[in-house]
Amino acid sequence: MTGPPIYVTAAIVSKGLSKVYPGSSSGQPALSDLSLEVPAGGVYGLIGRNGAGKTTFIRISATQLEPTSGEVRVLGHDVRTEERAIRARIACVPQESRPLYFLRVEEVVYLYLKMRGLPPVEARRRTRDVLDELSLTEYRRRLVNRLSGGLRRRTICAMVLASDADLLFLDEPTTGLDPLARREVWQAIRRASRENRTILLTTHYLDEAEALSGRLALVERGRLVLEGSPSDLRGRVRYPYRVTIRGSMPRAELEGFGRVSDIEGGFLVFTGEEEARELARRALGAGARLSMGPVSLEDIFLEVVGRSIEEESGTPADEADDAEDRGVRA
Amino acid sequence: MSERHRLRSLGTLVLLNGLIPIRTQPLYLVNLLASPLSFLFFIYVISHGALLAFGITGGLVLTMLTAGTGLQSDLTHYRHDLKFQDVVVASPVEAPVYVVGMALSELVYSLPAIAVFVALFLVKGYATPDSIAVIGGVLLLVWGFATALAFTLATYFQDVRETFMFSPLISLVLTVLPPVYYPLAYLPHWAQIVARISPTTYAAALVQCAVGIAPSACGQSALDWAVLGAVTAALLAVAAFKARWKEP
Repeated sequence: MTGPPIYVTAAIVSKGLSKVYPGSSSGQPALSDLSLEVPAGGVYGLIGRNGAGKTTFIRISATQLEPTSGEVRVLGHDVRTEERAIRARIACVPQESRPLYFLRVEEVVYLYLKMRGLPPVEARRRTRDVLDELSLTEYRRRLVNRLSGGLRRRTICAMVLASDADLLFLDEPTTGLDPLARREVWQAIRRASRENRTILLTTHYLDEAEALSGRLALVERGRLVLEGSPSDLRGRVRYPYRVTIRGSMPRAELEGFGRVSDIEGGFLVFTGEEEARELARRALGAGARLSMGPVSLEDIFLEVVGRSIEEESGTPADEADDAEDRGVRA
Repeated sequence: MSERHRLRSLGTLVLLNGLIPIRTQPLYLVNLLASPLSFLFFIYVISHGALLAFGITGGLVLTMLTAGTGLQSDLTHYRHDLKFQDVVVASPVEAPVYVVGMALSELVYSLPAIAVFVALFLVKGYATPDSIAVIGGVLLLVWGFATALAFTLATYFQDVRETFMFSPLISLVLTVLPPVYYPLAYLPHWAQIVARISPTTYAAALVQCAVGIAPSACGQSALDWAVLGAVTAALLAVAAFKARWKEP
């Protein structure tokens, strides 16, 4: 059976992308030979520690920052020469951005949409819908400077999610939000992704990345370390299963199954699928309590990078991102 | 982006950075009225009214200059603290639309000052078709170069506090030391030469000549226009090349 041809296009394609900030004292790259393909449609998660290069990648793709070398095409257009074509179809929540404090919540969204060129009626409808979706309706007449930090962040997310852009860049959009508000933003992101839009998301919350992203890229020191769907990533680590054992078992026996960590009242063992079953059988036989399942993204991150995502990178890339934060330029 | 969309974006920027902040804090309007009126009052008292005309024409020049240079604080704040410029860059809004929209929005704050000085100008009987045309042209050029200067400076400022330091300096160099509020002839010869470094000297000479309060300023109007036009064009060119829309 043959059907109509399916054209799969990528929203972002980067090839050999490097970035060295002009003010970087070490001259080390914030991004180094990064090749990545973000498929069109759905949520793509970019994860990594502070200073890994995530924001640099987003800023180059969103045409806010010049690359040093390499090629980036966004929605089929070159970021160096076809910025106007790209900008017509993108929207961005920059890291640590805040809405203009003298506006009311509904004005933040409405005026942004009007500034993008949407007709007033359409802008008003989209504003109403997004405020409702993100539970901001009750605050719509409130001035931004009277809002909590979390509500401000939610407002700026609403602004971009309400846009007509095909590609949304969300750089740590849920930082500072309470768990309930995070879930509401997740819902809105999922809704946007169902509208055949592409969302490039960076986040420090690995549960968020896992919950939202169809594919993920792990960046460390400006380089791509792992890329794929969450299940792909699990398939690429040495120990794709984790077994938590509460009770007493000889550690030497456990070490035969994989990597063992001590936890309060027992052990955490990272192992393979078959080994996990065997270990479970033995642990139950020894009278221990246990839980088992696939490793989390956090576990994968720890195994691949060797450190928690919460730890600062402290690398030249970090220095470059710091330089960027400080606005260091030649 | 179509012309209609551009106009919509431009109008939205004027609303966003001009009219809405004033709704929130109406004192912004009084703020920009304070400096030129203070100068006017001071000059009127010191000169026993003899230099009132210079106070009025100087006030107009200062108002338009402030309408341009005042933009540097907003631009720096929006770029570094709120990341608003990044939001705008990653949108269909084009750089020239942002520049003109922000410049017009800043002009809104100066409207009361402009109204007061225009009213004084009319009451004192300075308005003739010729003087209105000359003063309109001069004020447009002053606003143009001040805005270009603000965009260029804002590119290099890393913190809004730096702009607080520069604003009084700019005001001193462009409006207090040059003969904006008094005739050039009041200065000693060497100071007249130094004063010619400032483009506002030429602007003030043209305005003072048009109003007929300083006949000595009328000797080289063509040169004054040429210098003022050239400075404005040069600063606009510098802003176009140096003011950053996209970070390097």
